Amino acid sequence: MTGFITRRLLQSVVVVLLVTVIVFILLHLLPGGPARAQLGPRATSAAIENFNHQMGYDRPVPIQYWHWLTQLVTGNLGFSVKFNQSVASLIGERLPKTLVLMVLSTLFALVVAIPLGMLQAVKRNHAADYTITVWAFVFYATPPFFLGVVLIVVFAVDLPILPAEAPQSSSLGVILSQPGGLILPVLTLALLTIAQFSRYMRSSVIENLAEDYVRTARAKGAGERSVLIHHVLRNSLIPIATLLGLSLPAIFSGALITEAVFNFPGIGQLFWTAAQTQDYPIMLGITVLVGVATVIGSLLADLAYAVLDPRVRYA
Amino acid sequence: MSPGVISGWGARSGFFRARRLIWAILLTIVALIGTSCAGQTTPSSGRPVEGGVATFAEPANTTPNYIFPFMSIVYFSVSTVSDLQYLMFRPLYWFGDNGQPVLNDRLSLADYPTFADDNRTVTVKLRDYAWSDNTKVTADGIVFWINMMKAEKKNWAVYVPGGIPDDIDSLTADSPNQVTFHLNKSYSAKWFVYNELAQITPLPHAWDRTASGASDCEHRVGDCTAVYDYLTDQAKSINSYATNPLWQVVDGPWRLKSFNADGNISFIPNKSYSGPNKPHLAQFNEAPFSENAAEYNVLRSGDNSIQVGHLPPEDAPVKPDDQEVGHNPLENNYTLDRWYSFAVNYFPLNNHNPRVGPIFQQQYFRQALASLVDQKSIIKAAVHGYGATTNGPIPTTPKNPYASDKTEPNPFTYDPDRAQKLLANHGWSTPRDGVGTCERPGTGPNQCGPGVNAGARLDFQMMYATGTTQVTLAMQQLQSSATKVGIKVDLRGAPFNTVIGTAIPCDAGKPDCNWEMGNWGGGWVFAPDFYPTGEQIFGTGAGSNVGSFSDPKLDQLIAVTQHSDSPEALQAYTRYGSETLPVIWGPNYDYAETEIANNLKGVTPQSPYLNITPEDWYYVK
Repeated sequence: MTGFITRRLLQSVVVVLLVTVIVFILLHLLPGGPARAQLGPRATSAAIENFNHQMGYDRPVPIQYWHWLTQLVTGNLGFSVKFNQSVASLIGERLPKTLVLMVLSTLFALVVAIPLGMLQAVKRNHAADYTITVWAFVFYATPPFFLGVVLIVVFAVDLPILPAEAPQSSSLGVILSQPGGLILPVLTLALLTIAQFSRYMRSSVIENLAEDYVRTARAKGAGERSVLIHHVLRNSLIPIATLLGLSLPAIFSGALITEAVFNFPGIGQLFWTAAQTQDYPIMLGITVLVGVATVIGSLLADLAYAVLDPRVRYA
Repeated sequence: MSPGVISGWGARSGFFRARRLIWAILLTIVALIGTSCAGQTTPSSGRPVEGGVATFAEPANTTPNYIFPFMSIVYFSVSTVSDLQYLMFRPLYWFGDNGQPVLNDRLSLADYPTFADDNRTVTVKLRDYAWSDNTKVTADGIVFWINMMKAEKKNWAVYVPGGIPDDIDSLTADSPNQVTFHLNKSYSAKWFVYNELAQITPLPHAWDRTASGASDCEHRVGDCTAVYDYLTDQAKSINSYATNPLWQVVDGPWRLKSFNADGNISFIPNKSYSGPNKPHLAQFNEAPFSENAAEYNVLRSGDNSIQVGHLPPEDAPVKPDDQEVGHNPLENNYTLDRWYSFAVNYFPLNNHNPRVGPIFQQQYFRQALASLVDQKSIIKAAVHGYGATTNGPIPTTPKNPYASDKTEPNPFTYDPDRAQKLLANHGWSTPRDGVGTCERPGTGPNQCGPGVNAGARLDFQMMYATGTTQVTLAMQQLQSSATKVGIKVDLRGAPFNTVIGTAIPCDAGKPDCNWEMGNWGGGWVFAPDFYPTGEQIFGTGAGSNVGSFSDPKLDQLIAVTQHSDSPEALQAYTRYGSETLPVIWGPNYDYAETEIANNLKGVTPQSPYLNITPEDWYYVK
C-alpha cells in the first residue's frame, strides 16, 4: 500500500508539472497578451511596455515559467492587478465559500440520491422507478444556468420566498448566517448531482442484488432490510466513492455557472472573471490547484476502494 | 419476482419516512426564510426624509480596486475613479452638470481659473474646503499632486507626453488657497481646464509621508518617489482600505465604512464635508455582480436590496420613437432612466496594413464604407432603440455646447447607392455579391488613388468582439450591405481582449501589423479628457490612434482646438473629421439603462461623464 501511494504521488507531481507547462504555454499563445486585456484600449505603447516589464511578461516564456514555478514552491501564486490582491489571498478568501456550497450540495445530493437509487433498484421496472428515472433524466439534461434561472423565477420572483442571489460577504460567518441565500444555489447543484448519483446507485444496487453473497445472506436468514443495509449498500457505494473522489476538483474550480447565476463570490466566479480579463496569475493559480485536486481526488478514490472492498489490495 | 426485488418494500418503509422528514425540513427552512423576502411595491412620491441606506449595483464584472487617486493605468477605470475615489477625494474641478458634459462650478474645489499673459499664466483660487482631519484643502495639496506627476509620469494613468505636467514650466503656491501655473505655451483656456487641470486631485498633507515618517513631496519633487512608493504600497493592501487611517482623511462627502475586494463597499457620510451637497442618506452601499442577468434577477425579485441598478440591454423594453424609454418591466418598484455617456463609437481601419492600408488611406473609400453602416437600424435592432448615431469626432448626444446633430449632421448616413457611386467613380468595379477590383489605378481624381495597384481587391478581414449582440449585429449589417457594392467583409469573431490586443497602432511590415479592420465594440469616452479635442485618438502618432490614421490638416485643426478658445475651432475640427473619417463611426449605445427605486430621488439626471453623486440622493416617504 505504501509503495502504491508513493508511486501515485510521484506520478502526480509529474502530471501537475505537465499541466502547468501546458497551461502556461497555452495562455501565452493567446493573441494580444495580458497587457492590452488588463490595461484596456486606451493604453499607450509606453504603458504596455511598462506593464509588461513590471509583470515580467517581456522576458522569454521559459524564464517566466521558471520564475513562476520557483515562486510557487514558496507558496507565492502571484499578484492579480485586476483584484489588486495576491492570488493566494484571493483563493484563500473564496475557497471556503465554494467549499460550503459544494459540500452542502454534495451532502444533500448523497442524502437524497442514495435512498432514491436503492428505491429504484428495489422497485425496478415499477412506477416509482420509471417516475424517478424520468426526473433524473430531466435534471441530468438540464443545463445548470437554466435550472438556476427557473428556480429563481419560481422561488424569488413569482412566489417570492427566497432571495435571488447568494449572500454577499467576505466573511464565511456572514454567509452562513444567511442560509436562505444558499438554498437555491445548493439546490441547483444538488438536483444535478442527485440525477447523476441516483443513476449510478441504481445500477450498482441492481448489480449487487444479483451477487452470490446476497443469496448467501438471504439463505442464512437475513431479512431483506438487513441485506440491503448491511450487505448491498456498502458494496454499492463503490462507484459513488469514485464519483466523489473525482468531484474533489470541482471544489477548487467552483461551480462556475451556478456561481455566476447566483452571483456567488466563490472560486468559479473568480476564474470566470480572470478568464475574461486574461488575468494570468489567477488562471494559473486555480489551474494548478485544480490539477492537484484532481490527482488527489483520484488517489483518494482508489484508496476508498480498498476501504469499501476488502478484496481490493494494492500490493 | 425477479432476483433482488424485495416485495416487502412499501410506503411505510424507512425510505419514505426519511423522504417525509427531508421535505419537512426543507419546507420549514423555506417558510422561516421566506417571511423576510416578500416583494413589495415601493411608493414613488412623498416628502423627503433624511437617512436610510441605498445600494448601487456596480456594472457587471467591474469593481473598484484602488483607493489612491494617483494611479497607473493598470487600476484606472470608471468604477475605481467614479464609484470609489471621487466619493472621498474630490478632484480640483468636477465635470458633469445637470446631465450636461460641462464643468460643474458648484461641485468644484476651486473657482474657474483666471488666465493672463496670453493664457501662459493660470491662477487657481481654492474655495474653503477641509479635510476630515481638520486641515484645509490648500495650494500645497495641488503642488503635492503636480510634484508627484513630475516624479512619476510613467505611473500616472493618463499621462501623455507633452501634456501635463510637461506643459507646466513652473508652479507656485502664492498663498494657502492660491496657486499659479506658468505654462510653456499659450493654450486654450477651456482645453487647459477641461483636459489638464481636470486631472488634478489635491492631496492631503497627511499623505506626504513614507514608512519612516513625514516627507516633503509638497515642496520637493525629489521626495515624491518615496512617497509614491509608500502610498502605492498602502493602496495594495486592499482589505485595509476601511481601517487604514491614511484613507480616512477625506475631503469628499463620504468615507469608507467597509470594503472588500469582491466589490461590496459601504460608505458613511463624512461629517466634516464642507461642500454644498451634504449627504442625505445614512449609508451608501455598492454591490458587485458577475453577470447582468444575475443583477436583473435581483431587481425583478422585488426584494429592494438594490435601489439603483441596471437593465441588461437584451431585457430593455423596446423604445417607441416618440418616447424616451419603453414600458419599464420593473415599474412597480423602479423608474427607468437612460444613462448617456459623452462618447463616440467607431471602428478603426489599419492604415499601415501592407495589403489594404493604401485602400484605407483613400478618403472616398472610407466615405463609401461609412455609407454602408446603417446606424439607426442597428440601434433599433440591437439595443431596442437605446443609442444615438455618431456623426463625427464630437458626440452629439447628450446635448452639449460643442456639437449637435442639428449643426453637425452625419454627412454619410446609410446610403449604399452613394457607396457604389463613390467606388465606381474612382475606378473600382462594384459587382453585387462579388469582390470589386481596381480597374483604373493611378492618382487622378477618377482613379483608385496612390498606392492602390491594378487588380487590388475590396476584400477585407474584420475582427470583431463577440459576446455582445450589438457588435455582432452591427458587423452582420455591414457585411450584408457591403456585398451590394462589391465589398467583401470577412467577419472573424474573437474575444474582446483578443481584438483590443490585435487592433493596435503598428508599423507597416511588422508582424503585428497584419490586422485589417477591428471592432471591439467601444470607441472613446471623453473622460478625463473632458474637452473633446481628439488629439489622443486621431492625432498622427497618438497613443490611442489605433488605425495609425494621419492627416496633416486634421492634426492642424486639432492643434487649433488646443490653443484657441474660439467655438469655431471645435466646429471646424468636427466638420472636417466628419468628412474625412479617420475611423468609421458606429452607433453610440447608452452606457446603461438605469433602474432607480421609485422612492429614491436625486439620482437623475445622470452624469454623462459616468460619475455618481449619492450625496444628492434621498428617500421620499
